[in-house]
Amino acid sequence: MHGFSSQPKRAALLLPTQSGRLGALSLLLLFLTVPALTAQTGSLQERLENAAALIRENRIAEAEVQLQSLLKAAPNETAALNLLGALRAQQGRLNEAEILLTRAAKIDPDFVPVHMNLAFLYLLKSAPAKTIAELKLVIKLDPGNVEANYKLGRLLLTQGQIEEAISVLENARSAQSTSLVFAPLLGDAYLQKGDIGKAEENYLLVLGVQKNNVDAMLGMARISRKRGDPKATFEYVSQARERSSSAELLYKVGVTALELGVFDEAHTALEQAAQLKPDEPIYLVAFGAAEVKKSDLFRSEKLFRRAIELQPNNAQAQMYLGYVLYKQKKLNEARGYLEQAIKSDTGVPEPFYYLGLIVQEENDDERAIPLLERAIQVSPAFANAHVALGASYLKLKDYPRAQKELELGAKLNPDNSKAHYQLAVLYARLKDPKRAQAEMEIIEKLKALDQSGKGEGDVFVISPATPNPH
Amino acid sequence: MLVNFIRKKLHNKSRRLRFCNTLNVILFLPLMLLSLSSIVVAQALKLNVTFDEIPAGKSGITWVHNNAHSSDRYLPETLGAGCAFLDYDNDGWMDVYLVNSGPADFYTPSAALKNALYHNNQDGTFTEVTDKTGVAGGTFGMGVAAADYDGDGWVDFYVTSYGRNLLYHNNGNGTFTDVADKAGVAAPGWSTCAVWFDYDNDGKLDLFVSSFVAYEKSLNILCTDETLSRRYYCVPRLFKPRPSHLFHNEGNGKFTDVSKESGIADSPGKSFGAVATDVNNDGLMDLFIANDTLPNFLFINKGGGKFEESGLAAGVAFSDAGKPRSGMGVDAADYDGDGWQDLFVANIDQEFFSLYHNQKDLIFADEPGEIGAATRMLSGWGLRFFDYDNDGDPDLFLVNGHPDDFIEMRTSTRVKYKEPLLMFENSGRAFKNVSGQSGAVFSREFSGRGMATGDLDNDGDLDVLVSNNGEAPLLLRNDGGNKNNWVGLQLVATKSNPAGVGVTINWQAGGVKRSRLRTAGGSYLSSHDPRELLGLGNARRIENLEVRWPSGKVDKLQNLPINSYVKVIEGEGVARK
Repeated sequence: MHGFSSQPKRAALLLPTQSGRLGALSLLLLFLTVPALTAQTGSLQERLENAAALIRENRIAEAEVQLQSLLKAAPNETAALNLLGALRAQQGRLNEAEILLTRAAKIDPDFVPVHMNLAFLYLLKSAPAKTIAELKLVIKLDPGNVEANYKLGRLLLTQGQIEEAISVLENARSAQSTSLVFAPLLGDAYLQKGDIGKAEENYLLVLGVQKNNVDAMLGMARISRKRGDPKATFEYVSQARERSSSAELLYKVGVTALELGVFDEAHTALEQAAQLKPDEPIYLVAFGAAEVKKSDLFRSEKLFRRAIELQPNNAQAQMYLGYVLYKQKKLNEARGYLEQAIKSDTGVPEPFYYLGLIVQEENDDERAIPLLERAIQVSPAFANAHVALGASYLKLKDYPRAQKELELGAKLNPDNSKAHYQLAVLYARLKDPKRAQAEMEIIEKLKALDQSGKGEGDVFVISPATPNPH
Repeated sequence: MLVNFIRKKLHNKSRRLRFCNTLNVILFLPLMLLSLSSIVVAQALKLNVTFDEIPAGKSGITWVHNNAHSSDRYLPETLGAGCAFLDYDNDGWMDVYLVNSGPADFYTPSAALKNALYHNNQDGTFTEVTDKTGVAGGTFGMGVAAADYDGDGWVDFYVTSYGRNLLYHNNGNGTFTDVADKAGVAAPGWSTCAVWFDYDNDGKLDLFVSSFVAYEKSLNILCTDETLSRRYYCVPRLFKPRPSHLFHNEGNGKFTDVSKESGIADSPGKSFGAVATDVNNDGLMDLFIANDTLPNFLFINKGGGKFEESGLAAGVAFSDAGKPRSGMGVDAADYDGDGWQDLFVANIDQEFFSLYHNQKDLIFADEPGEIGAATRMLSGWGLRFFDYDNDGDPDLFLVNGHPDDFIEMRTSTRVKYKEPLLMFENSGRAFKNVSGQSGAVFSREFSGRGMATGDLDNDGDLDVLVSNNGEAPLLLRNDGGNKNNWVGLQLVATKSNPAGVGVTINWQAGGVKRSRLRTAGGSYLSSHDPRELLGLGNARRIENLEVRWPSGKVDKLQNLPINSYVKVIEGEGVARK
């Protein structure tokens, strides 16, 4: 069962990233649980199960008739309210879904499936705090709920609440016999915290028992990268790819490989994923990203166009297509897709940023400034946007503002060679050759990194952990 | 609406007027000007100008470039060669010079190779006079720069090489003598582009010579990959840079190497294209130099024989991400008519070519517009800003070709070894790609390198000569450019430098004022027709024209005949040619 909505919200990116073992825990899975209705008539039980089965078979209209009729007879039947709520969510009618599900939760506050569905619904409504609250309720009601613990830990991690995530996962692990389930995610959490030792301990714990665990291998690849060991990074990524046979796993390996700069492996993994599921926009988009890394803008353009053909409102595909068109200097067409991406999702900074760059290309820096400021408003730590804003001020000869933005951009991303270059130009114009020279020396040092795919971050990376291109 | 209608009428009328006799024009024009006085602005005819190939069978130019191609892929093989339009016998018609490879430490030709000089027979054909004139070369030639360096009234030319360079002094009797050693300009090593200009305004032509990398046979690094299992041409990043040369003309047939004291040698480069222009309007010629895999140089002439490299602060040295690119061909012109010289540099594929708009305070903004998208996958060499349709503003012609003949096998980026030519028309503030409408030759692909412009048939529009690596050159006749009016100037200096480099020409025709600075060098390894061809649009007369010489003299010219060449002598004005 796929997500509620055809709208490609950020959360949707998480869908195919689960390991095979946890595949059943897909974040957007609907809870179609029908509790045993011991106190109720057999026919009610049968009708509920029948409705759930119809939803699973995507026979929505029939399920809806069944549930409406059931609720007419028993308006406070929580299981029916839950099913209808899930169905409405699947139809994209999120507000109606929320009304039905919250009503069910009020009638029976201890009914776990309704809280799980509310958790997923709030994720779709971009309300992660509410999702977290619902998941916590589920864990309170059912402390042994593996999925709720896992998802809460993961969500806290993506929200940057690392300590709390670790606490949830450690508690869940100590209470579970299936403690290995949590180990890769705990490894990720410790890695994010910067505790490489504990991260490695968790990954190795898994690999000791499950030598083909892809999550743990990718975790070890990240550790190797942090330790500056490109050979080991490559080997872990390569092994992970070889052990991945499903599109979902290949996708996960591919995006991680992109993030780690192992581009050939990324390309192979994502190409295989896209071949396995050629009509899945998310794989096409990721494969397109890998093609961009290989400088094949023509092929990536085709992939992004195909993704949009399959899913016209796919904001990510629109944004990335805008990006590759911009890189090919097809500015007018690029602008169109980026504007569409903004309409599809206003909460993403990149389309504003690329629109700003397009306007800069058109030599209209005064008009670029508000676009870049908007990107920064959405994502204050967006280093490239600060650098681009600084570049516009530099061109307009507003040197104090240019300096402020460029220095902030360089601080946010010290590997951004564009920031250092613009600063060098600025200092040269301010007749400060020593500082200009110092900035150029930084660029020289960054060259080696840049060749391995790091550096100015001009080409985007798709990653489940960092869905933003930058 | 009414104005547009009248303009259209005027436009059509002027088309017809071209076929009227002079008397009719004189009678008709004042009436028209009276009635339309409020909109009297020169209207350039929108011409369908094409460049048509003059095949070797017709022109007689049968010479073919030998690039010394080998399986060892020595770098000089792929970087040549240049070409020139020059009038070596002062008959008023442009002759053609083509540079070839030759013996080198890595190459022994199986038969003697020579450069070629073709005499213009004034009927669309050429006759080879290489041996007769004594300009066969004999080095591994790269480029050519022509000018009358000793002011004796006969054009000389300098040939750059991998190895020693040549200075062919024109003996004035149809022969040349190589005087490079005697003059002190042999400049060993690997030289690419050369520019004749007067950096100290002493009235004598000095010489700038671009140096490419430190190279010899033993330094040919093995560049190969798993896909190819064969050698390909190494990226110049792998070789060491060298300082370029600046030679001061002492006026006695000798030059002094002033590279160190001038500051030029302080910046070792891997230099290709070079253009002398005045980017800050201080009356001193500056130098813009394209470097391969190193930042470009902008040498600002500070006076007193000193140059200051200012590329970084000017914003012309690197890409906007701070990366040095592979700069090859260059040129300079005031493309938007704001009175300030703009710069152009062609780079290798995926680096984009740069059109640097002068922001008037030694700062440039890269504003390539449509040129960016058109050149993304191309590698540019010969190029020039010139007014191909005589509408008064400089257009842009680009010659392209990838240096690596294995590029199509080595990458998946759709970059090709042979690439198309491109023509961009100036629309005022930007350039529009008109290659599709400019002739069948633009749908073909070449291993283009050098490019020179010249009016080979003296019909008032600029033709193009393209030199290809390992192939025959391409001679293109401009068809249609002279449907707009024009005037051609042959500048004859008496006090300023003989080439008139640094001259500013201001003219007004049809109510439109225009200005042109006479630059030197530019393109790639090549040398242009030295005459200045001024486009007048459909204006039937030039209201005024002045020539400001570097010496400070100003010649104000009245009642110039249009659609013909005139000789302008410094301090004396016009001598009808």
